[in-house]
Amino acid sequence: MNVFKELYNYRELLKTSVKKEVRSKYKNSFLGVVWSFLNPLLQIMVYAIIFSLILKNKQDNYAIFLCCGIIPWTFFSIAINKSAFTMIENGNIIKKVYFPREIVPISVVTAETINFLISTLIILGFVIVGGIGLSKYILFYPIILVAQYLIILTISFVISSICVYFRDLQHFIGIILQLLFYAAPIVYSQDTIPVEYQWILKYNPMTYIINAYRDIFYYQKSVEIRPLVILIIIGILACIIGYKIFNKLQKGFAEQL
Amino acid sequence: MKESEIKNNNMNQYAICVKDVYKNFNVYLDKANTIKEKLLFLSRNRKERREVLKGIDLNIKKGEAVALIGTNGSGKSTLLKLMTKILYPNSGLIEVNGKLTSLLELGAGFHPDFSGRENIYFNASIFGLTRKEIDERLEEIINFSELKSYIDNPIRTYSSGMFMRLAFAVAINVNADILLVDEILSVGDEHFQNKCIEKMLELKEQGKTMVFVTHSMESVKKLCNRAVWLYNGEIEMDGDAEEVIKKYVEVTR
Repeated sequence: MNVFKELYNYRELLKTSVKKEVRSKYKNSFLGVVWSFLNPLLQIMVYAIIFSLILKNKQDNYAIFLCCGIIPWTFFSIAINKSAFTMIENGNIIKKVYFPREIVPISVVTAETINFLISTLIILGFVIVGGIGLSKYILFYPIILVAQYLIILTISFVISSICVYFRDLQHFIGIILQLLFYAAPIVYSQDTIPVEYQWILKYNPMTYIINAYRDIFYYQKSVEIRPLVILIIIGILACIIGYKIFNKLQKGFAEQL
Repeated sequence: MKESEIKNNNMNQYAICVKDVYKNFNVYLDKANTIKEKLLFLSRNRKERREVLKGIDLNIKKGEAVALIGTNGSGKSTLLKLMTKILYPNSGLIEVNGKLTSLLELGAGFHPDFSGRENIYFNASIFGLTRKEIDERLEEIINFSELKSYIDNPIRTYSSGMFMRLAFAVAINVNADILLVDEILSVGDEHFQNKCIEKMLELKEQGKTMVFVTHSMESVKKLCNRAVWLYNGEIEMDGDAEEVIKKYVEVTR
């Protein structure tokens, strides 16, 4: 409980670091905020060309289908990737000033959440322009987001603190994320995978998240409540454990950085 | 029961209690930073364990101004970092009673692309101030820094003196109960230095607890009533500032 009090006392720092994180992404780039739309759009285009034209994917409205997977995934992968580097980038200030260290991973994940909220506009654009339209199930969006936030924060706590001690983990993370990308139903639909390989998807928490987003935006139906609730409960517990690990490791940060 | 009573007593009277603190550093002679290196060159993991603090006991009363003196490498800065929770002791206890601010290095966390004003907000928030508190102090900070119209220019356009002045102005206006200062009194020109010392004396008057690390015996005499002399990670002498300095100067000469 002490954590929350400490975070509350330092709420201004949390706010400014999130702002700084969001702003610095576009500072000094010519197109500025346009990149947050252009980047995923171009990515969707690349995958749409490869999978629908070259690999002959038969999914209806494939670009929209892709979009519902890629945008939540990008949120996940960028947040994790940044977490791996963030402590080292902030090493200078960690060595010299005391502040609750958990602010660093929390602000990275929160800043990416804001970027994700902005890029959700792309999904909305796709479903509206693509003729699918919107449904009332969009109300599930914040619940899915909470589950996703918890998962990402947990991983961020663990990754950001371990990377201080083992810097080469940073390089593995890129590869692992690429592996996870194909082990989640992003470019394909879960039911196209043979039964004997389904377990791989089942162990990837992002599977449930992406399926849920796809349910509300693409299929226009209610999410599956049970897996989502279980995910949130596990997410909360994991987050506590993740924080404990972080807290243990943070005591050595100033010496390692 | 009895122990907690003693503790309570301590908490009322003391701002900082350091009890039997040991701190070791691993000094890597040739550090293997990656797993590959760790596996390939087992010999590269040669490290020396260096004891920096060996059983420090130190109680600092509320409202005291204490100077930590000693030669380079005697553990002064390490002790300060332990007090502010940047480092953690290998054994022993450190208790702090009250809001603590440390000025270990000025301008840590300044962002060169942002304006002076924005950096005030960011820097002050690192010290744990809320937006409202910063708003209240903004005027005073800008005045103290004497930056005037430069305050809205990006920090990268500042001279090093201006940079330091701004950093010090923020740090000194945080309004903490305990202030830890590490060798930063040599900021800016003489006029600004005097201003800093005056400000610190003013804080001392207000009953703030202060701990300084410094090599300038002049400022110790001006600011502190108590001095602690560290030598090789142990307390060599602790007492009235004048006496400790006299002895210290005699021995190190």
